[in-house]
Amino acid sequence: MLSEKETTIIALEEDVVEFTETKPTPPAPKKEAKSVDVKDVKIAAKKTAPRTSKKELTMLAKAASEFAKKMLAPNREENDKYPFGPFFEDALEKAFGVDFFHIILPEDMNGMNQGMSALSVTLDNICQEDSSLGGILFTNAAAQELMIQAGSKAELERICSKETVRDFLIALPVFNNPSEVKHLAQAKKTGDAYTLSGSLEYMVLGDLAGQAIIPASIAGSTRYSYFLVDLKDKGISKSEPILSLGLHACPAVDLELNHVKATLIGQEGKGSDYFEKMADRLHVAAASMALGVMKGSFKEAFDYAKKREQGGHEIINWSEVKMILSNMAIKISNAEMIIEKACKAVDTLEAKWETRSRAAALHIQDMACDLTTDGIQLLGGVGYMKDFGQEKRFRDAKHIQALLGITPIKKITFIENMI
Amino acid sequence: MISRSEIKSYLSKEPLFDDMTCSLKATTRQPAAMIKETRKIIELARRFNKEVIEPYALELDRTMQKDPDYLPWEFVKKANEWGFFTLWIPKIFGGHGYNIPSLSYFMEETGSACLGLSNLICVHYLAVSTIFASWNLSLISKLCRLVAQGEKTGVPCLLSTAITEPGAGTDVEEVELVDRGKVACSATKVEGGYLINGSKVFISSGHVSQWHMVICYTDLKKPSENMIILAVETGSKGFSFGRVEHKMGVKGCPASELIFDNCFVPDDLVLLSRDHTGKQKRGVKETCGQILDYVLASSRAGVSAWGAGAARGAYETALDFALTTEVNGKTLANHEWAQSMLAEMYKNVCIARLTYIETNYANGMYGLFKTIQMKPLFYYFKYMPMILLDKFAPMILNLASTTWLFRKIQLDWQSDPEFHRTAGWGSLAKFTGTDMGMKNCQMALEIMGQSGLRQDRRAEKILRDSKLLQIFEGTNQLNRLNLFKCLVAKNNPMIKVFEKE
Amino acid sequence: MVAHAQRSPFDHAPCFEDMTSSLQSTARQPKGMLKETREVVALARKFKEEVMRPITLSMDRQMQKDPEYLPWEFVRKANEWGFYTLWVPRIFGGKGYNSPSMSYFLEELGSECLGLSNLIGVHYLAVVTMFATFNIRLINKLLREVEDGQKTGIPCLLSLAITEPGAGTDVEEVELVDKGNVGCQATKVEGGYLINGSKIFISSGHVSRWHIVICYEDLKNPSDTMLVLPVKTGSKGFSFGRKEHKMGVKICPASELNFEDCFVPDDLVLMNKEQNQKNRRNNKQTNSQMIDYVVSTSRAGVSAWGTGAARGAFENALDFAINTEVNGKRLVNHEWAQAMLAEMYKNVAISRLSYVETNYANGLCGLYKTIQFKPLFYYFKIVPKIVIDYIIRPIINLPVTTWVFRKIQLDGQTDAQFHRTSGWASLAKFTGTDAGVKNCQMALEIMGQAGLRQDRRAEKILRDSKLLQIYEGTNQLNRINLFKCLAAQGHSQVRVFEHE
Ligand SMILES: Cc1cc2nc3c(=O)[nH]c(=O)nc-3n(C[C@H](O)[C@H](O)[C@H](O)COP(=O)(O)OP(=O)(O)OC[C@H]3O[C@@H](n4cnc5c(N)ncnc54)[C@H](O)[C@@H]3O)c2cc1C
Ligand SMILES: Cc1cc2nc3c(=O)[nH]c(=O)nc-3n(C[C@H](O)[C@H](O)[C@H](O)COP(=O)(O)OP(=O)(O)OC[C@H]3O[C@@H](n4cnc5c(N)ncnc54)[C@H](O)[C@@H]3O)c2cc1C
Repeated sequence: MLSEKETTIIALEEDVVEFTETKPTPPAPKKEAKSVDVKDVKIAAKKTAPRTSKKELTMLAKAASEFAKKMLAPNREENDKYPFGPFFEDALEKAFGVDFFHIILPEDMNGMNQGMSALSVTLDNICQEDSSLGGILFTNAAAQELMIQAGSKAELERICSKETVRDFLIALPVFNNPSEVKHLAQAKKTGDAYTLSGSLEYMVLGDLAGQAIIPASIAGSTRYSYFLVDLKDKGISKSEPILSLGLHACPAVDLELNHVKATLIGQEGKGSDYFEKMADRLHVAAASMALGVMKGSFKEAFDYAKKREQGGHEIINWSEVKMILSNMAIKISNAEMIIEKACKAVDTLEAKWETRSRAAALHIQDMACDLTTDGIQLLGGVGYMKDFGQEKRFRDAKHIQALLGITPIKKITFIENMI
Repeated sequence: MISRSEIKSYLSKEPLFDDMTCSLKATTRQPAAMIKETRKIIELARRFNKEVIEPYALELDRTMQKDPDYLPWEFVKKANEWGFFTLWIPKIFGGHGYNIPSLSYFMEETGSACLGLSNLICVHYLAVSTIFASWNLSLISKLCRLVAQGEKTGVPCLLSTAITEPGAGTDVEEVELVDRGKVACSATKVEGGYLINGSKVFISSGHVSQWHMVICYTDLKKPSENMIILAVETGSKGFSFGRVEHKMGVKGCPASELIFDNCFVPDDLVLLSRDHTGKQKRGVKETCGQILDYVLASSRAGVSAWGAGAARGAYETALDFALTTEVNGKTLANHEWAQSMLAEMYKNVCIARLTYIETNYANGMYGLFKTIQMKPLFYYFKYMPMILLDKFAPMILNLASTTWLFRKIQLDWQSDPEFHRTAGWGSLAKFTGTDMGMKNCQMALEIMGQSGLRQDRRAEKILRDSKLLQIFEGTNQLNRLNLFKCLVAKNNPMIKVFEKE
Repeated sequence: MVAHAQRSPFDHAPCFEDMTSSLQSTARQPKGMLKETREVVALARKFKEEVMRPITLSMDRQMQKDPEYLPWEFVRKANEWGFYTLWVPRIFGGKGYNSPSMSYFLEELGSECLGLSNLIGVHYLAVVTMFATFNIRLINKLLREVEDGQKTGIPCLLSLAITEPGAGTDVEEVELVDKGNVGCQATKVEGGYLINGSKIFISSGHVSRWHIVICYEDLKNPSDTMLVLPVKTGSKGFSFGRKEHKMGVKICPASELNFEDCFVPDDLVLMNKEQNQKNRRNNKQTNSQMIDYVVSTSRAGVSAWGTGAARGAFENALDFAINTEVNGKRLVNHEWAQAMLAEMYKNVAISRLSYVETNYANGLCGLYKTIQFKPLFYYFKIVPKIVIDYIIRPIINLPVTTWVFRKIQLDGQTDAQFHRTSGWASLAKFTGTDAGVKNCQMALEIMGQAGLRQDRRAEKILRDSKLLQIYEGTNQLNRINLFKCLAAQGHSQVRVFEHE
């Protein structure tokens, strides 16, 4: 239950989100946060993070959009060749430099201390141009969130003080819910220390990041726990980057672990709790990635349809083409409304915010898969080629749908939570 | 190029070649005369649509909304006059002996004009196939000849099938489920017959049928092994009609409650009981399953044909609207987006049709119509003079050995893959066809705007009607699972269907 | 019982024939086709297991690394197995298997790899185009080269080049082509034609020996001046341009063909206006009929690929479901998964039905009509090779043979028949390919992260299957064509492709 004070803060902030267009920007919340102690920061991070005014969101959106247009769009095709082409190191470092990886981190970790609205708006704009970077941001944010949920503050702080982006990044198998399909390593406890062995599938950012969060089961326990490992540990061997459907520049690897030193995150056996709490929040961010891809695909198709001539005029004049475009535009408009509402729900802890977040993702990811196939279709043969990015968006949309677990199971879980 | 043994081994891998190619095989085997018969049937159906159904369909739907307890006797008599209740009964049983797959085309045709009226004619054949699947030839003969007599005298004798109970709908459609279900309609053995107690609900054409094929159970604790099929005549002591349901659509065809209160059925009206099922090669439960599947594999093809009919009715209504309506100064049918939607709808009709046709090919080669479509028998019955048949057939049919022989051929000689093929395809057709029906109705209403909403423009009625198809003869969900069981899981020991979750 | 009314009930759509191709094939279609189909399917399964499966994924990977790679090795293998002549009639040096059996073959191979399967199938797209001209002498000439290619082990593939940079949909449809920006021109010169312009997206272009090029004498009036010209790789003035970098079907190159004053002698002209003058229909109608002959068969084939993709995805997902535990229970034993798998099975089945039905129509009143005519079917099946080589071949080269075939197949086909085959082919094309993509989407949903990895195959099938909705006429075009051929018949007020 929230204390009276906290509720008022939330209520106040709702106003902020709603009405700032006409009001001057409220005093930056960051300053307040500085003077409170660790415990309060945690509360702030967990409960009252949504300090983003509309104006701030607009600025963030603009920054992300400009970044994406400048750093991502020109090399989209090239970057998509990974692992058979070079990795977009530059873009990654720039993104790190402008703090895109710090959005949800609390202030004392050099974070922006923002909520899902801010993360979503960033991902949306990034993914309009290239969702690979979005995938990296998402995975890293999910990992950070997981640690926040587990209360692993010291560890997170240590990681966040790293200088280079690779050292800073945290890998996480973000496409699997370990309590559903049991891809788990085995953990062994000796004294207070843990070591991990076994294999782990599809570790996202495994070949980029300095450390990874690994779900593992401790012998004798039916529930799994999360551990932090240093990816430079000699006991870890990594596969080549796994050739995958989409998000080529957000690569995953398979890991083999052989007595790898590991730090427990949170408490033993609580892995599933942390995952679900993280997923409650991050689902809406995944939805935003899908939205970004949808917007990119629509824009490309719309522009093309206005230029391409078949049958003696621009194809946009064929009413069937209009119909398809319209269906795309309607989806986007709906997705925008849903995400805005869901982000607000998450950030202000409205009743049923978890449901809102998950429902947004499940529905919008579906829509993105439908929309991007039309996105190819409207370009005909060239839609199928690398040149216009439509085929990439189609792949990415499907890839994004698989974030945080198997889709139908996410749906089954959704209703089970209501029964 | 490739050796014979290799061919055999490759074709017996999944998907089985035989599961994939029913039509290809059927076209080499089935009697060519079926083409002409089918042509005739479709012609007849279209004439009936034009003369009887089309002028009456909307009116009856309207009447039923005013007076939901109205019973459409008039129409039943009309259909009886046209001979529709015997058209697909084999000649040896006193019918006209048209090939059964042509019934599906008939259902599509009449269904495209009105599903309610088409139901009134064709659920009769659901009961006919139920009695056929029991292979109790003397009783088949008796009942079918009553129907034929009804045609001659002008007093219609329809049959209905009563399976569904208030507490068990899906459960009684599937042997795997029935033991877990709450079945309550029991048959207790007494001297000279059985006493039925309990009730059945949603029985199509119940109130207008003369005979009811009632599936009940001699032991409610283990229904899967104690299924019994009894023929009950309207007017029997202890048997009465309950309410007529007030439905969203298919209003022309009553859905009736049948109530049994110590209703006595003599032994010679037992179509099938444990005494019979126990004598077959398969266990009792498997035999019951097989018999259910015989019925469903053919009746579901029929429901699929109704789906095709609904899809077609919707398509034709929308096309008609598009041809006669101007939108933004141009005939709607000349707007490309509308053409594209209409094409999609046309396709939906065709797909629905292809599925029921293919299922019938399977039924013809491996299922209920196998014997009767064997070329020698087919032509023999086709050309044998009616007088001879009427005279000698009952004599032969009443022999216990004839029933034994037919059960041997149809039940014991049907292999598991054959039985899976027909049942699986039956389910496939059922949910495909009926999903297509619904889909097209939705699209028609989208295209037609406010015209789509008015009863007098037909589209909304077809929508109301077609929804039923996704529910009866096993809900579409059940049919998906049955397809899975029959055509995917087969006998893979690792896969369990209808496991408790 | 049915009194013969003045107006037949079949005056109303749908007419009996449109509804019942399979039924009408009863007893009409030669029984031998069943046996041949059994053989072909078994052969396909064997090839799939022995040749394709080991390389499917590695080839796709190879292409991602090196998009310029050309799959010569596989083409040679397919050539060794005899696949480039299997469906060529025996009188033209082939093995003479019935054409509908090829669709089953494409489904089988397509369920393993659409890319490799394309490397075999698009050859027949070109073969069929030649057939649709019914220029028997030239058909024989080119197909004999294919036969030699098989004997010598140096594959001789054919490709078909229609699409141009400025005209894709437009060149698939005679109603549109006059409005489009076609740019590939053939100019009459002494002794032949000069081709100028370029074609793009030509499947198997880089690995084909002959290219059946559709071009136009008058770019302002293409529908009336269409020509079909074969051009051999290596001809002067002909060169390959870029090879597209595609999302899927990577192993089968999509090539640009460039023509710069490329000379084609008169005796290689498969069809032109002059030849068409002898037909009943006018030139434009004949061109349209010819294109429809081609697409009526090729679209059934693409539908079969759609079926194959749908099946590949289904089989992949089933396999995953059987071998993966979810929440402590095999996935395949979760009811929701069973329902999804059933839906996927159904998608495979209905796609198959759609191409099978189309082929029945093609057999009854389309391209396969003559050759599936029972007496001819059996004659060609059993006639000794010697007879073919010494008696039939000389006859084939007579102009009268071409004349007879054109009479039967072009003039003898009624409009209703031509609409039936064309309409059904479009129906099959978009039904099968939509089902293909749908099943891939579902497979990926079921498989979670395993569905994303190339080494688990599902994602590759998705990438591949998307192509099917685009080529051989986009599915949008095919819907309109179905509408035109089957729905709009009898309604004179209906116009398609009107300016909007
Ligand atoms: C107009 C009409 C006419 C009819 N005519 C006849 C007739 O002539 N003779 C006759 O015998 N019956 C008839 N029926 C009954 C019909 O067959 C049943 O309605 C049908 O079998 C569904 O049963 P139910 O209504 O009890 O639904 P339920 O079985 O209660 O099903 C409710 C829902 O639960 C789902 N469900 C149930 N079990 C499962 C499971 N194991 N797994 C997944 N989902 C499940 C169903 O799919 C459905 O969505 C008729 C019904 C209607 C409406
Ligand atoms: C991998 C690959 C292989 C191929 N292989 C071959 C080959 O071997 N030989 C060959 O000749 N071609 C081949 N093609 C070309 C293929 O047939 C064309 O891509 C296809 O016909 C579509 O043309 P387009 O790409 O120019 O699309 P466009 O015609 O530009 O179409 C763009 C969009 O506009 C829509 N559109 C266009 N006109 C209309 C209209 N009138 N009404 C409504 N919508 C319309 C289309 O549906 C599509 O959505 C291949 C293509 C690919 C991608």
